[in-house]
Amino acid sequence: MREPFLPRAERAFIGQYRPKIDGREKASGQARYADDLALARRFPGMLYAKVLRSPYAHARVLKLDLSEAEALPGVVAFLRYDDPEVAALKKTNAGWTDGVDTVSYRKMMWGTFRDRCVLGNYACWAGDEVGVAVAAESELLAEEALALVKVEWEVLPFVLDPLEAMRPGAPLVHPDISADNVFPPDPFGGGDVFVDKGDVESGLAAADFVVEGRAVYHNATQNSLDNWCCLVEWAGDALTVWSNSYATDQTRMHVSQMLGLPIHKVRAVSPYVGGQFGRGDTGDQPFFLFTALLSKKSGKPVKFRHTRRESFHDSRQPAVYTARVGVMKDGTMTSMHFKSLGNAGAYADHTMFALKYAPKEITEVALAHVPDVRFESFGVYTNKIPACMMRGVGNSQFNLIFGLMIDLVAERLGVDPLELCVKNFGHEWESLPDKSLERVLEEGSRRIGWKEKRHLPGQGPLFEGTRRRGVGFSCHPAWHAEWQEVRRGKVQVGITLNPDCTVMLNAPSVETGNGSNTCNVLGCAEALSFLGIAVEDIHWSSIVDSDRGTKDCVQTDSAVSYLQSEVMALAAQELKDKIREIAGPVLGRRPEELEIVKGRVFPRDDSGGGMGVRELLSSGDLAPITVFMSRPPLAEKTGVPYFANFAEVEVDTGTGRVQVLALVVVNDCGTVMYASGAEAQQVGGQCIGLGEALTEEIVYDPATGVPLNFNWVDYHIPTMADMPDIEPVLLEVWKGGGEYGACGIGEGTVTCTPRAILNAIYNAIGARVDEIPATADKVLRALGKA
Amino acid sequence: MGAGSGRVSIRVNGAWREFELGRDLTPSTTLAQLLREGLGLTGLKTACDEGACGACTVIRDGKAVLSCMVLAVEADGHDILTIEGLGEDDPVVEAFAEQSEPGYGTALQCGYCTPGFVMAARAFLNENPSPSLADIKEGLSGNICRCGCYAAIAMAVLHAAQKIAARGGAR
Repeated sequence: MREPFLPRAERAFIGQYRPKIDGREKASGQARYADDLALARRFPGMLYAKVLRSPYAHARVLKLDLSEAEALPGVVAFLRYDDPEVAALKKTNAGWTDGVDTVSYRKMMWGTFRDRCVLGNYACWAGDEVGVAVAAESELLAEEALALVKVEWEVLPFVLDPLEAMRPGAPLVHPDISADNVFPPDPFGGGDVFVDKGDVESGLAAADFVVEGRAVYHNATQNSLDNWCCLVEWAGDALTVWSNSYATDQTRMHVSQMLGLPIHKVRAVSPYVGGQFGRGDTGDQPFFLFTALLSKKSGKPVKFRHTRRESFHDSRQPAVYTARVGVMKDGTMTSMHFKSLGNAGAYADHTMFALKYAPKEITEVALAHVPDVRFESFGVYTNKIPACMMRGVGNSQFNLIFGLMIDLVAERLGVDPLELCVKNFGHEWESLPDKSLERVLEEGSRRIGWKEKRHLPGQGPLFEGTRRRGVGFSCHPAWHAEWQEVRRGKVQVGITLNPDCTVMLNAPSVETGNGSNTCNVLGCAEALSFLGIAVEDIHWSSIVDSDRGTKDCVQTDSAVSYLQSEVMALAAQELKDKIREIAGPVLGRRPEELEIVKGRVFPRDDSGGGMGVRELLSSGDLAPITVFMSRPPLAEKTGVPYFANFAEVEVDTGTGRVQVLALVVVNDCGTVMYASGAEAQQVGGQCIGLGEALTEEIVYDPATGVPLNFNWVDYHIPTMADMPDIEPVLLEVWKGGGEYGACGIGEGTVTCTPRAILNAIYNAIGARVDEIPATADKVLRALGKA
Repeated sequence: MGAGSGRVSIRVNGAWREFELGRDLTPSTTLAQLLREGLGLTGLKTACDEGACGACTVIRDGKAVLSCMVLAVEADGHDILTIEGLGEDDPVVEAFAEQSEPGYGTALQCGYCTPGFVMAARAFLNENPSPSLADIKEGLSGNICRCGCYAAIAMAVLHAAQKIAARGGAR
């Protein structure tokens, strides 16, 4: 048995090691996902949609001839780019919101970049949805119909590299938005220089040393196993969309606003979702719209399921980072300049969230004590797959350069990088050293064996003739404390107590796997512990249905693990008051004279009497008691906790192969809401973290701009055989506002993995690979062997 | 399938099912499609549809197969076990559902890969009833869990082996 975490406070339910509440349903194959619901046997007459995808990286559809395709039996409806109902659709962006809030067309976050046409005739990457969509009686028929469509293409010159895209004369991807492919400034992201604190140039000039570094982040993709899937039924004046969107309210808003239907005529339903990881941004994706229009046109329910290849639909934003750091001999960092060049691919979507919005948050926490800080960033359109949210958005990319600079500066000064971090990083509400950062680094260091295993770069012992081992780490401030969720607006929760003392919990949040449904049920049980109920007495729904009318708390920022539980803690007080009001006349007391403990309501003054709550409720009118609470996240600025990953690697200097031997993942959670779930995030996140560090990358044919590895054979996701021993470490050092003062950790678990591994490689072989994935050829090149 | 008969008989979860070419399936229908869409057995998932992820794993005549890589007509005359055919108290299902001890997390998060893992683990344990951790890592390396629950899945398989042994080795 491993070392379990030590809770700060003893609680009845919160913080437990226990099975997931949906464990049985999922392990037995009973859990239903969108693709399982959308079967012809459940929806008689259902049709299947497919859309034409551009085979060219940059092209325009000049003419379509559908005559042969239309003649194919079983093909029911076509939708063309020049059909009036398609041509009338507004230009859009697939990231109306970063997921925390529900946003209208007018208020979309990246309104500066409305660069997407819904089924237009202009293709910006090889895979873009253009020209025509079809609905047929089978998927195969739909595919055959598209193959029979005669398309006259105007093939345009393309560009894949952002530096080339910036050069005069480069092909322009969206000339109406940028005349040089470089993103213009926007209200959310800011200008090219989006943070400028103090005087960076003077600071660098006055520093004892200036250390420079460069790191390159390539584009991995989310790879949720559950391929994008929707079923739309447009009947009469109302439309229902069943899908694996993780944001039902936003899906409803998107469909309502783009298709001009009032909100109450759109119903969005999401059952279990097979993994999210940020894919498709907030789901404001054109395919929902053309599927809906095909349903309207055909009068049938229409299903649109992406194949695995098509589910390579967007990727993390790749970027090149450079930095200069000014440092004094005593280890004080005085001046920092970070610059990034991001490859947005074909559509802007959330690129500026990654390049600007996320790193900006770092300055007010981790870099609060560094006097001079400048962040500069350029997002550039190219003809690659569109860049998109992915678990750890922006922070994962930034950590690759941040953790490099820590390692480089420590080496220049000849100090331990852990000490350097504690000396310099904290947040603006506290003096240094930061307690959370100190504890996180202490624990990680102890568990990986930092002091024993760390040696001068490349100077460790040799194993089996060619192998060298090393350790590395990286740390980062979290960004999911309650005060950082304020933009989310109100969090809504309903609790209904039945006459038999069972509970209906109404805390909608699409179950994408991260365990927050279990957190919510534990939070409900904790809040209602005065009733003496068990977890099994609480009913929750695995299906989020916008028709229930309660706001869906979107599974982003890993923050649903505590946001709804905080509101439940308040709702429970109101419920208690209502029970007292009912009990008052029955017990002949004023409600405020009564107390409820372990399911019994009795006079506070110990004068005797009282009764079971269950007895009380089952003797009345049997009406359930319902409380509904709607509360915005607490805005009090409480700072954030830290997290860190430590890695031990073995590098074969003959072949260049890197093997990760051990990972230690440390997260300060504020409060651990559900221990097994939190550790599942810590261990599980390493599939993405390690994959991005060592193997995952989309590869293009430079001659055609066509992506080559949209499958799981050529795009390698780590399997069980690739994973090292992983030790999850949960801490409760920092505390935020509210009852629990917790902080989301899911995204944080992946953020530091690539940099920790790269630093460990350097410690092992004394040569730097600062471009991920760190494949064997890059390692050999770093060693001067290739 | 008798030559030219156009009929396909498959024993699915203990019951023989009859299918007719042209009406219920075509020569290119995969076993995964037939089970999911024809019979509504949606426990197995088609995540990659090209044999790369293991989410569609079912057991054919006691061995794990990827049902997306098997044509339905190839299953004619064979015995197919899907996750729906497992008993209420199946030790592997129980072990996956219960896994939660400190240090490993849960054996499932989103659950999409889970039925495939459960079936692969069952077939694996039939062949190797008392595996080492290294055996498990090798034996289940054909399945992808993007939520990354590999460590806990390995523990669940160990626990399942113990459960099976405790029940006298019953499958």
